[in-house]
Amino acid sequence: MDKEFLEQGLNHNRRKFLSRVSLGLGSVALGSLLIPDLFSGKKEAEESLMRALPHFAPKAKRIIYLFQNGAPSQLETFDYKPQLVKSFGQELPESIRAGQRLTGMTAGQSSFPLVGSYFDFNQYGQSRAWISSLFPHISSVVDDLCIIKSMHTEAINHDPALTFFQTGAQVGNRPSMGSWLSYGLGSENENLPAFCVLLSRGKGNGQGVYSKLWSSGFLDARHQGVQFSSSEDPVLYLSDAEGMSKNQRRRMLDQLAAMNELSYQEFNDPQITTKVQQYEMAFRMQTAVPEITDVSKEPDAVVKLYGPDCLVPGTYAANCLLARKLSENGVRFVQLYHQGWDTHDNLPNQMIGQAKDVDQASAALITDLKQRGLLDETLVIWGGEFGRTNYCQGKIAPENYGRDHHPRAFSIFMAGGGVKSGMVYGETDDFGYNIQENPVHVHDFQATVMHLMGIDHEKLIYKHLGRRYRLTDVHGKVVSDLIA
Amino acid sequence: MRYFTWLLLIGANLAGATVVAGLFLATEDYSGDAISWHKWTAISSQGVAVALYFLRDRAITILRSLSLSLALLLVLAGHYGAALTHGEDFLLAPLQLTSEEPLSLADAEVFRDLVQPIFESKCIACHQEGKIKGELRLDLLAGIQKGGKSGALFVAGKPELSLLIQRIHLPLEEEEHMPPKNKLQLTEEELEILSLWVSSGGGFDQKVLDLPQEDPLFQLVSARFSAQKSYSFSAADQDDVAELTTFFRKVRPIYPGSPALEVAYYGSSAFDAKSLAELKVVQDQVVKLNLSRMPLEEADLSLLADFQNLESLYLNFTSLTGNQLKELVNLPKLEVLAISGNTLDEEGIKALVSMRKLRHLYLWQTGLKEQQKNQLSKALSTTQIDFGYEGNGVIYALNPPKIKFESTLFEGETEVSLAHPIRSTEIRYTLDGSLPDSVSSPIYKEPIVLNASTPIRARAFAVGWIGSTDTKELLIKKGIKATTYNLVNPPNPKYAAKGAASLFDGIKAKANHTTGDWLGFSEKPLDITVAIGSAQPKLLEVSFLLHEGAYIFPPQTLELWIGNKGIWKKVTIPAQASSTKVEEPRFGLVSIPLPAGPMDQIRLKAQPISKLPSWHPGAGAKGWVFVDEILLH
Repeated sequence: MDKEFLEQGLNHNRRKFLSRVSLGLGSVALGSLLIPDLFSGKKEAEESLMRALPHFAPKAKRIIYLFQNGAPSQLETFDYKPQLVKSFGQELPESIRAGQRLTGMTAGQSSFPLVGSYFDFNQYGQSRAWISSLFPHISSVVDDLCIIKSMHTEAINHDPALTFFQTGAQVGNRPSMGSWLSYGLGSENENLPAFCVLLSRGKGNGQGVYSKLWSSGFLDARHQGVQFSSSEDPVLYLSDAEGMSKNQRRRMLDQLAAMNELSYQEFNDPQITTKVQQYEMAFRMQTAVPEITDVSKEPDAVVKLYGPDCLVPGTYAANCLLARKLSENGVRFVQLYHQGWDTHDNLPNQMIGQAKDVDQASAALITDLKQRGLLDETLVIWGGEFGRTNYCQGKIAPENYGRDHHPRAFSIFMAGGGVKSGMVYGETDDFGYNIQENPVHVHDFQATVMHLMGIDHEKLIYKHLGRRYRLTDVHGKVVSDLIA
Repeated sequence: MRYFTWLLLIGANLAGATVVAGLFLATEDYSGDAISWHKWTAISSQGVAVALYFLRDRAITILRSLSLSLALLLVLAGHYGAALTHGEDFLLAPLQLTSEEPLSLADAEVFRDLVQPIFESKCIACHQEGKIKGELRLDLLAGIQKGGKSGALFVAGKPELSLLIQRIHLPLEEEEHMPPKNKLQLTEEELEILSLWVSSGGGFDQKVLDLPQEDPLFQLVSARFSAQKSYSFSAADQDDVAELTTFFRKVRPIYPGSPALEVAYYGSSAFDAKSLAELKVVQDQVVKLNLSRMPLEEADLSLLADFQNLESLYLNFTSLTGNQLKELVNLPKLEVLAISGNTLDEEGIKALVSMRKLRHLYLWQTGLKEQQKNQLSKALSTTQIDFGYEGNGVIYALNPPKIKFESTLFEGETEVSLAHPIRSTEIRYTLDGSLPDSVSSPIYKEPIVLNASTPIRARAFAVGWIGSTDTKELLIKKGIKATTYNLVNPPNPKYAAKGAASLFDGIKAKANHTTGDWLGFSEKPLDITVAIGSAQPKLLEVSFLLHEGAYIFPPQTLELWIGNKGIWKKVTIPAQASSTKVEEPRFGLVSIPLPAGPMDQIRLKAQPISKLPSWHPGAGAKGWVFVDEILLH
């Protein structure tokens, strides 16, 4: 116990040291003698760097990330490869695979027969981008999209790939993208968390999502993503307990804060301050959240736009609608996950179901933001954690096949928020296996997203356990071709 | 002293030679104030130098004043000379290099911001008022258009025929090469900019942003300008800004260091229309104001008229009136106006028609008629108007309604309510297991009271929508609690639940055979005897699970005996329908009326399907029977 007290004493920060041990200018001088770094400005410089965020005028203010968890196949959605249909059943040439490692699920397969998309493709809009027949609604907003066909990642299994996309590292414990942005840019609306998470699940083969994906890692806990419940009551326990009036709760919180302050004086644990702030936020959320989660006043046109499922809590459509409402109310980062894209077998059937879940609502979100004049400052991102193989996993038939994980090339799209619209970026080879031009690594994507938010990804840094951390680690290049 | 005399003589003579040379030079291409000042100060210094030589033996005071004036004249002559070769303000130029904000791309012009700076830094020293080499003046637009002694400066669109481009590309040793050998040379990029400017036509008011994105000039230079818009007004007082920011109103610079502010309001229940007036202290700085969803009925928007720099205004869903809109007509800088979700009246349309400077206008859900939309589109021909999605002409299927009840198994009677998230829908239902239709099935108005086991099916209908698929539930009434029973064959050990007790526990299992609440039979039939107490039951109900995908079918045969004092009597049961296709997991309830007459035992036997039908993926395999509850009423 003595050791803890000693450490606690040593942990007293600079400001405390000055205000407690010494008063007045003379003691400040003493302070500077005892702590040589005190006025050297090193720490100050870092802090002022942080204060200067955003680093430049942002193009996007808020992000809605529609994560398609399980990795939708690029070959049945945005990457049109007629060659694969022609080469149905033929072996994947080794010159194309070039030693790419495979997952345990197909590594043992004796043959790797190519299989093309069961779904037809067509060109849409001014941009003449190819989109499959699975996405009639997304096709109709194609001129607002910036489709990237040349994404690539390092991980080959769901959990590390997902974690890599969200936190910049394949192992856990790093802050999520939303946490970094909350840390860097703060909240627009102080009555709501800056980072909200909404989950939904399709009928396809699902992969789990875990709270580490929206963890704040080593950043302060208030930057953690707040997961909304998929029940009719998206935020639980918001209403006052029976018999407790608003005023009583206020008084209780004030008392509690006073006691917490005493405790903070004693232990200097920053988590105590965070806790107090969380209580205050929750108090304000009591009025802010019901205003937002109430969908009963949405016009009929909105219901038609997103599809009637948008009024059924816990569906992807309902989450898209809620995401729009949170975003327009100043939530910096709304993260959706829709599970069920892991199509190892029975791919056409599963994709029909998954597409039905997400197509209309994803397009609706873009249209809805646009008609409110908000698309320009809201970045919408749609995509999974990696792509799927061009060869078949398991039994092969033109109308029934499966695809394994493929990290070397896959497609995502973005819309609004300062990205070029009506653009298709990057190209893969005729087999849809390797990137042919303009590769975009996950770190490049992260750097670009941060750039759009007005952040220099090399400057948003947090020092932890003796080293400096960034979302993009020591990598990442802003893809300026994507920026309008 | 002798050396000093010699020095004076040489100096005076050299001064004379310089003046003569200078006078010759002055005859070509020079004019203006600087040259005459230079000329006369130079001639005077020469005169003073000569005087100094001849008066060198006079009084020391005379010598002193002469030397002083010579020094002064030399400085002046030198200064004016330098002004001729390096430009008028050469002396202070380095001091005037203020770190100005980079010009914004939106404001940048090709000539003014790209070409002219090159002329000014590299050419103008010899081609301007005061020193007009080759009769070419680059300090005046007229001079650039006119050209010089050898002809026009450039031929628009033809860099190879343009003197400007020819001269700057000549080898350095050539006499004609510009700028001359000993002067600061053009950089590669500057050469490129001048050539591209000429090939693009050499215009004088082309904006950089108007160049096509793939234009080489645009690609070369666009990165030089800041994408940030720059503002010339001064920043607001920081304390004012801090004071205006509350939990419900955020006031902050559009980016750090910018004087321009954006203001956003949050939380409609906390909104006070009077708080708008507080923004007066920053009215010159606000460029973006978001009041969307705030109840503005009471708000006095006339005070927004003073927001001279307001560019974007968001007023979606604010109950805005036409009269309020009129107050915004004269905002000089307003480019983006979002008023979706406000019903527009004639006043409002009239106000909008006059706002011709708008670049973007958002008018979704404003109740405009086709003809009014056309009127607006016509009047605001340069404005991008978004009328948004109204869903006209598109017909989608409704989603099914929800059936709400307390529990599947109920005692006595229970209430069932039906609900649909879309208020305008009509819910129709049946209680006999048939599919509800939009004509004859009853419309749901109030909770339905059930006092027997009942299948409920419901569908939603609405104008402008396709009727929903049905949603169904089976509610089962709890029976007499049986206490003594005997299961003849044990269930499959994987699906044994808590044995026979599970069949009488009054707990309805979920529609999933793996929950551990179901008894599954495959090899051997379900065969059970139940002892009847004093209350004579009139109805037997058995709750099955149906899930063809998992090989779970209705029983192939179902047999029932009632026994009294050891005498068994078979009860005839109408044939049960079997499955015809693979469906989602669901409940199946078989209700068998029991004959009157004394009984002390009943025996039920349910035989699983021995061979799955040919349409099933597992055709020929053995099927399963799953039971979770047996009820006696």
